[in-house]
Amino acid sequence: MVLRRGYNNQSERIEPSTFLRCFQAIFAGLILFQAVLIGGLFYYGSWAAIAAVIQQPEFHFALKLTLWTSLVATALTAFVALPSGYVLSRCRIPGQAFVDTLLDIPIVLPPLISGIALLILFGPLLGEHLTKLGLEIVFSPRGVVIAQWFIATPFAIKAIKQAFDSIDPRMEKVARTLGFTPGRVFCKVTLPLAKNGIISGLIMAWTRALGEFGATAMLAGITRMKTETLSVAIFLNMTVGDLEFAISTAIVMLMIALISLVILKVFLRTEVMV
Amino acid sequence: MKPALFEVENIYVQAGSFQLREVSFSLEAGEYLVILGPTGCGKTMLLETLAGLRCPARGKVFLKGNDITLTPPEARRFGFAYQDSLLYPFLNVKDNILFGAKAQNRHQEPEILSRVDKLAEAMGIAHLLNRFPRFLSGGEKQRVSLARAILTHPPLLLLDEPLSSLDPQTRRSMQELLQEIHRAEELGTIHVTHDFNEALQMGTHLLVMNQGLVLQQGNPLEVFSQPASLNIANFLMGENLLQGRIEWREERAWFAQSGSDNVRIGPLNECKLPNKEAQEVTLLIRAGNLVLSSDSHESLAVNSWNCRIAQINWHSTHVEIICRGQENYRVVMSGAEWKRMNLQKGSPVRLSADVNDVHLLEE
Repeated sequence: MVLRRGYNNQSERIEPSTFLRCFQAIFAGLILFQAVLIGGLFYYGSWAAIAAVIQQPEFHFALKLTLWTSLVATALTAFVALPSGYVLSRCRIPGQAFVDTLLDIPIVLPPLISGIALLILFGPLLGEHLTKLGLEIVFSPRGVVIAQWFIATPFAIKAIKQAFDSIDPRMEKVARTLGFTPGRVFCKVTLPLAKNGIISGLIMAWTRALGEFGATAMLAGITRMKTETLSVAIFLNMTVGDLEFAISTAIVMLMIALISLVILKVFLRTEVMV
Repeated sequence: MKPALFEVENIYVQAGSFQLREVSFSLEAGEYLVILGPTGCGKTMLLETLAGLRCPARGKVFLKGNDITLTPPEARRFGFAYQDSLLYPFLNVKDNILFGAKAQNRHQEPEILSRVDKLAEAMGIAHLLNRFPRFLSGGEKQRVSLARAILTHPPLLLLDEPLSSLDPQTRRSMQELLQEIHRAEELGTIHVTHDFNEALQMGTHLLVMNQGLVLQQGNPLEVFSQPASLNIANFLMGENLLQGRIEWREERAWFAQSGSDNVRIGPLNECKLPNKEAQEVTLLIRAGNLVLSSDSHESLAVNSWNCRIAQINWHSTHVEIICRGQENYRVVMSGAEWKRMNLQKGSPVRLSADVNDVHLLEE
């Protein structure tokens, strides 16, 4: 295994010690486990079944719903996580521990409980007002977006805050003295410098949204051909015993996630190399 | 009366438990002000306040007589270069230099583009314009940072230890470059450093700071040879600080050392006496003002005393000789001069000082 000094990105080989070999063994074990896990899924499914499933209208509906809801949820996440991450990185916040805990709630709570909380907020508490405005959330695709957004946002905030933390604030100060207003400094200096961290954070948010199930089930319901995302489709078909549909859908979901991640990672690496 | 180019009046800045207190000074056009102080004394904080990046709690800042205390940095547009060049890694050298012009939407104007070429030529970075910062050396980066800071003719140039991360050779060429730019652009410059040599070489005016306070300001040579207090003399590493008292002989004041080297220096210029009542004083003789001679027999000569050579420290530009009587005295001279004297460790020597080159300090 070629080891690289990660801290400065130089690809110098370093001599592995026994200590490092132990860590390598654990790491190799984890990779093997993941590979076997994914391999098992592929082994259990069949290409013929996948070909049949991807032609079914139910699959088309679930795929479309999953893609558009997860992308809208990711856009909303970006809208919230960029300013929040910046504030957390640059400002001294009174009651920091309390604020951090509040932000972590969607991470530490089981998604089902987050879903119940969302259901109460958008049902009994705000439901009537939202209905008057024509914005029904509960048991609708909008609910899917809200649930995905709620679960994905804290992950993006953490990653984006870290990206902003890694920028020397003096880079921004120099831009101010060169004539840029704070808003333009953010667009012209901070965002380009944090670009890779922001994209990574949003990819993480998107993959969380793509696979979201618990909170979606509570807020948007599990209704075939209405709020049926790919995860919901897998659950629905598992419960009625259609294993073929469920496993084929799972494999397709896995493929979508893997291909998207690989493309983005290659793109990001190319960007870094420029 | 024409107002000063830049004036700071009693500014007070607070950051956490650290405070900058009652800082005042003024800068005329074409002056090169060096702010000297140890690390952590508030120099960078002061510079950021001058640039508008920090807001003072009290006090005022004027540019050409106009109050700019509340003017944001993007409207002041002072040139600013930090110790680390802080170039934008996603832009090539040319775009880095043009970054300030871009803020004013002037980055495509022919005169700006020709100024980029002119500055790049003057700074020796013309061949690097298309490179990205990670392919530049420390000195090259610092030149780009400087070109970026002065591209749009800022009213004032602020430099935060711009040379401290460079190797000695690069530092010397950068010093020359800074002086050349300062002359050519007639740019009022404020340069923060903790390096004494840099302060003496670069500054037309010097301001000494410590713990958020301005201790003394004035002509650099005068501040170094005549520090206002013992505290400042210690900070400026006054080499020979002799403890003693003022003695009056025939109505003339003499310095009499307390130790048994029996150093007597005088008659002192009375207007230089810190306080006639203060009998306990400290006399500062900078190492360059002590004269070492091999003739140790002139025991009757005034303002001189006998010692032995205790240590010889060779430096690249001079020799430092430590002479020992009851106390240690430091003398500096050129290497050639020292060789001509043909002295060794232990040789008896005589030290003398001109009464005009000594400085009395109050306790």
